Amino acid sequence: MPSMEHVAHPQQRAFNPYTENGGTILAIAGADFTVIAGDTRQSEGYSIQTRYAPKVFRLTDRAVLAVNGFAADGNMFVKKVKQRLEWYRHAHAKDMPLRAIARLIQTMLYAQRFFPYYVYNILGGIEDDGTGAVYSFDPVGSYEREACRAAGAAQSLVQPFLDNQIYFKNQQAAPGQTHPSHLPLPDVLSIVIDSFTSATERHIEVGDGLEMYIVLAKGRNTQGMESLHGVQELSSKLDGERVFVVRRELKKD
Amino acid sequence: MARGRTRWWWKRETRSVTVTQVTRSLEDSEERPNMAMELNGGSVIAMVGKNCVAIASDLRLGNQALTVATNFEKIFPVSEQLYIGLCGLATDVETLRERFRFLVNMYTIKESRAISPQAFAHLVSSTLYEKRFGPYFIEPVIAGLEPITTTPTDGSAPTTEFRPFIAGADVIGCLNFAKDFIVTGTASDKLFGVAEGLWEPDLGPEDLFETISQTLLNAVDRDAYSGWGAVVHVITPDKVVSRTLKARMD
Amino acid sequence: MFLTRSEYDRGVNTFSPEGRLFQVEYAIEAIKLGSTTVGIRTNEGVVLGVEKRVQSPLLESSSIEKIMEIDRHLGCAMSGLTADARTMVDHARVTSQNHAFTYDEHIKVESVTQAVCDLALRFGESVHDEDAMMSRPFGVALLIAGIDELGPQLYHTDPSGTFVRYSAKAIGSGSEAAQSELQDKWNSSMSLLEAQKLTLRVLKQVMEEKLDHHNVQLAQASADRPLSRRAVSY
Repeated sequence: MPSMEHVAHPQQRAFNPYTENGGTILAIAGADFTVIAGDTRQSEGYSIQTRYAPKVFRLTDRAVLAVNGFAADGNMFVKKVKQRLEWYRHAHAKDMPLRAIARLIQTMLYAQRFFPYYVYNILGGIEDDGTGAVYSFDPVGSYEREACRAAGAAQSLVQPFLDNQIYFKNQQAAPGQTHPSHLPLPDVLSIVIDSFTSATERHIEVGDGLEMYIVLAKGRNTQGMESLHGVQELSSKLDGERVFVVRRELKKD
Repeated sequence: MARGRTRWWWKRETRSVTVTQVTRSLEDSEERPNMAMELNGGSVIAMVGKNCVAIASDLRLGNQALTVATNFEKIFPVSEQLYIGLCGLATDVETLRERFRFLVNMYTIKESRAISPQAFAHLVSSTLYEKRFGPYFIEPVIAGLEPITTTPTDGSAPTTEFRPFIAGADVIGCLNFAKDFIVTGTASDKLFGVAEGLWEPDLGPEDLFETISQTLLNAVDRDAYSGWGAVVHVITPDKVVSRTLKARMD
Repeated sequence: MFLTRSEYDRGVNTFSPEGRLFQVEYAIEAIKLGSTTVGIRTNEGVVLGVEKRVQSPLLESSSIEKIMEIDRHLGCAMSGLTADARTMVDHARVTSQNHAFTYDEHIKVESVTQAVCDLALRFGESVHDEDAMMSRPFGVALLIAGIDELGPQLYHTDPSGTFVRYSAKAIGSGSEAAQSELQDKWNSSMSLLEAQKLTLRVLKQVMEEKLDHHNVQLAQASADRPLSRRAVSY
């Protein structure tokens, strides 16, 4: 009887170069400011790799980029965007405008159409006309300007909350009144904080720390930020757009 | 000879099993939710208020992406102040509705009293667990008022208070007695997010109605499998107010 | 051992001992043989004007093209070996379109000028495998006019790849006289209409033939309509 012990079995192997590192990002545009935020937990599966891995980055005095998904791709992508911004500054003797950064990010993402950066980007900041703006992207560069956007692990928890609180979806304005198209800064900040505490409460991949970047239009005073403690200014000059960062603790369980 | 052939067949079978196992393990590496829970769509939520509870659901019945009906109620009265929401496979919604009707009737006749929310929750749990290895594809939500009767020692007349009660369970009846809210269905993650942001303790009936309605509406608007209308029941000690909400129909 | 002067003339990428690139200098000389081209910047926009030498009554003057559009907000006028300008304008157009594609904005006038000048020095012997390179310097000078966030601007480029910004500039055979006339008449507050008239007056002065709608062409870049071009008759 022939032995079957040594017959080779067909085997299938696959290398998956991508990981999902959790976390959530969020951006809300005001009339003359934008808030861009992200939590700082980085996880792989059920383990927490670090409680402080920034996902939100200052690009210029008027642009902040939040990157969520595969952390290695995200960090490399931000690095490359920053490099392109530097080259642009040298070639054209000015900082790249926000909408130009948005388009640049699209071309950079689409260049990797068949081996994509596994990241969801949200770009926030101040447009050339002084308005607050949020641009959101998919991993291959499809993008859109919006008033607010959440992305990442808790997108499904946060986005409908934002629909309700920012766009006033399913809410009727009082007779003779209309819903505001933009909320004041203190309201936006408390919605951002509430969104992250909620997401932390119900999603295991969200928590540890919260980083909120606030970008103010040129000439706008810091009205609405008085109640915040521990604000750190990151602007390179005081007479242009200004960038601030605020850090908060989130639950660590 | 016979033994040898048996062994030979066994070996061949082992080999083919190994091959299928390889394929299966590859498929399973991607976490795949139970298809039956998304076949028909739908979502239910319950919330606790001050001396009141609310339970609400959408009205959609679908066959995957195709919407079949927009009047499919998933919440049923159990007693005057006790409701159950059945979320999941539509056929099991109907089956369990009838089954719980039968079981509650039997309980009421045998015990000559209405079933308490607590007892009903455990009835639901054990009914689901009976089918531990071939479960109903239903995640139920229970909402009601628990009557607490106290007889004073001084001989005066006994008083009845109502304590809000909500509970949820998974498909095999593992109970979850939450103090704030219970969500189930295809929009459950969205419901969690909005509810966590909007809910606060000690809401009166009107505020609770607004909170649960906003939570449900905004959550199902971001869910392709839920929506197409909604119903809300607010249960208070003296009445139950049921409302149908005007919702996005897309 | 030094080569003789004539030998330095031949190599396009060899400096003479005095530090000169003769071929580049000769290319600049070639511009002076070209037809007169004038550019005037005002606060409202930039006017470009060219003389077309109609050498024969049988020549269809409309087929002479010395003003070209680079992009909606950019135009250029040329003098010298106008055939060489096609390569440069082509490069400018591609650069401008690429910029708009990548950054969703109009390229700056200076940036597109810089891009053209980068090309101007890309001559010499091409190494094997390389795309065909220009074997000699471009024999053309350009006046690049345009509008960006810094307002209306006028740039002059020459075969050495140098570029300079001007308020008003004349190039070509009549450039010396034209330039002194511009220096006399240009002022910082002139209107577009005044600039158009000045362009024509300057061209009229330096042209041998009588100015008419066949032998002169104007174009302007202005804020309301980035680039418009027309043959004028006054």
